[in-house]
Amino acid sequence: MSRATSKATGVALKEQVTEGAGSGPPESTVPAVVPATSGPRRRRVGFSRISGLLFIVPSLILIVTFFIAPFVFNGAFAFINWTSFSNRLSWAGLGNFTYIWDFGVLGQAIKVTAIYAVVVMIVENVVSLALAVMLQRTSAVNSVFRTFFFVPVLISPLAAGYIWQAILSPHGPLNTLISAVIPGTFHYAWLGHSTSALICVASVEAWKWSGLTTLVYIAGLNSVPRSVLEAATVDGAGQWTRFWRIKAPLLGPAFTFNVVVTFVGALSAFDVIMSTTSGGPGNATTVLNVALYQQYAQGFFGNASALSLVVTGLVIATAVPLVTWLRRREVAM
Amino acid sequence: MNATETTKLRTAARLTALTIFGLFWIVLPFWFLLVNSFKTEGAASVLSLSWPSPWNLVNNYRTVIEQGFFRGLSNSLIVAVPTILAVLLLGSMAAWIYARSGRKSLKFAYYLSILSILLPPGVIPTVYLLTQLHLNGSRLGYMLALAGTRLGIVIFMTTGFISAIPPYIEEAAYIDGASRIQVYRHIILPMIRPVLFVGAVFLAISVWNEFFLSIYLLPGQGESTLPLTLYQFASSSQFTLRWNLVFAFVVLSNLPLLIMYVIFQRRVIGGLTEGALNG
Repeated sequence: MSRATSKATGVALKEQVTEGAGSGPPESTVPAVVPATSGPRRRRVGFSRISGLLFIVPSLILIVTFFIAPFVFNGAFAFINWTSFSNRLSWAGLGNFTYIWDFGVLGQAIKVTAIYAVVVMIVENVVSLALAVMLQRTSAVNSVFRTFFFVPVLISPLAAGYIWQAILSPHGPLNTLISAVIPGTFHYAWLGHSTSALICVASVEAWKWSGLTTLVYIAGLNSVPRSVLEAATVDGAGQWTRFWRIKAPLLGPAFTFNVVVTFVGALSAFDVIMSTTSGGPGNATTVLNVALYQQYAQGFFGNASALSLVVTGLVIATAVPLVTWLRRREVAM
Repeated sequence: MNATETTKLRTAARLTALTIFGLFWIVLPFWFLLVNSFKTEGAASVLSLSWPSPWNLVNNYRTVIEQGFFRGLSNSLIVAVPTILAVLLLGSMAAWIYARSGRKSLKFAYYLSILSILLPPGVIPTVYLLTQLHLNGSRLGYMLALAGTRLGIVIFMTTGFISAIPPYIEEAAYIDGASRIQVYRHIILPMIRPVLFVGAVFLAISVWNEFFLSIYLLPGQGESTLPLTLYQFASSSQFTLRWNLVFAFVVLSNLPLLIMYVIFQRRVIGGLTEGALNG
């Protein structure tokens, strides 16, 4: 899944937030649009079934052939012995999984992926929420800053990786800046040690996408009804009180959306890692998708499919409970 | 101190904080990228933030262009432009039907269509499928995979948008004898332009920078898109860690989208923040 496409749902979320703010119940902020159910009256007027089908068939064929079918077959390929060394395909049962588990690939990749996703989620949401609070009001200066903080979203994740690989290198500008502040010279290899490499690469991912997350938070903050804020001001609530007692609880939908999207998106991380560490040092940043590519490049297609299925499993296993849990905490308005 | 002074002080503090943070978060990385792309190899290897001296204005960029930049650019354009247009057109056509019908079967098709927003693509079976279709390694095969995985988001956004529009104008047009294609062309398309613009922005970012699928589906050098060309360039032993060249390539390959952003930035940020409804 691409982060950019998944994040686009934020816009749709915003549409519903604006509607919900005025009249609808909080349920209208579910980030899944149910097509409006039109009455039979509407269906009758001039609708021939055939011409309607012609409108949905092209997209449906493309989606079913090039997304749904590969997705379903991936579930089967994960249990098949399939390498580039042999033309024979055979049933492997759990063989692919036990193979990559025994070689330490699977366990390590799951651990790295989970840590990576948590770091991306925390860094990106903290930075974006702080920026959104400061840039919430629409003014000329704020527009300039919003435009400015959005630029990393446009560059390719690969490019972001190359820029930060150089910044984080032992003799790079980050260490030069640190050396200017603290006594002595500082030449730490940020990407050369397991723990710092993982945290740094995840932070680069957060850096690349935070501009978009900020916009979703700004939209969420602006959906808080002005009348409520004015009433609070009249009652003597200051800026902090207004933020923590009114805006923060009502930010629920935007918060839910951003936490889920940043976390689930980071489970599919690939580009930034390939251009910073390629999975190293050792396998300290080898997330599932990097391991998948390594298995594929070595010709182990069955193992690669097994890893792909694990990514899918993680996405489903975390997205569903995360959405349920966070939505329960949202304040009903 | 009175209330206006407090507000003024607060604004000043806020803008100072934003400026300092922006300096480290945005200005320094991009400054670093740009100045080093104009340095000689020796000067760039120091990885400093200093002004280039001596200037190496064209050599790095010339080398990068000779190493297949334009091949990557043309492949990216050939892939991205038709894919984005097709996804917007086919996605919005389907979204209109989904938004206006309450039929169970169509609701099922709708949910099937938007699964790709959250779920990752099955990349190995995609390679297998394209091989069976004799499309593996071709730009067409890659474009089909891109369309299959990106139609979902456009359908999702557009269906939500159309659902919020009352169907009266369309009904009036049907009564006046308009065909479905005429209604789509003359009533729906003009109305949904805001959401299609936001969709186009997301597709441009996601398709232009796409790397995950391309590394599997476009193994040949001749078909490499820009991100893939950049990756191959930076990973080749000849150029790796030659930061002046890698950075020149980074600048060039990201320039097209950044130029588009400079032209449309107000609409991009406005459309994304105000929501597609008001866009």
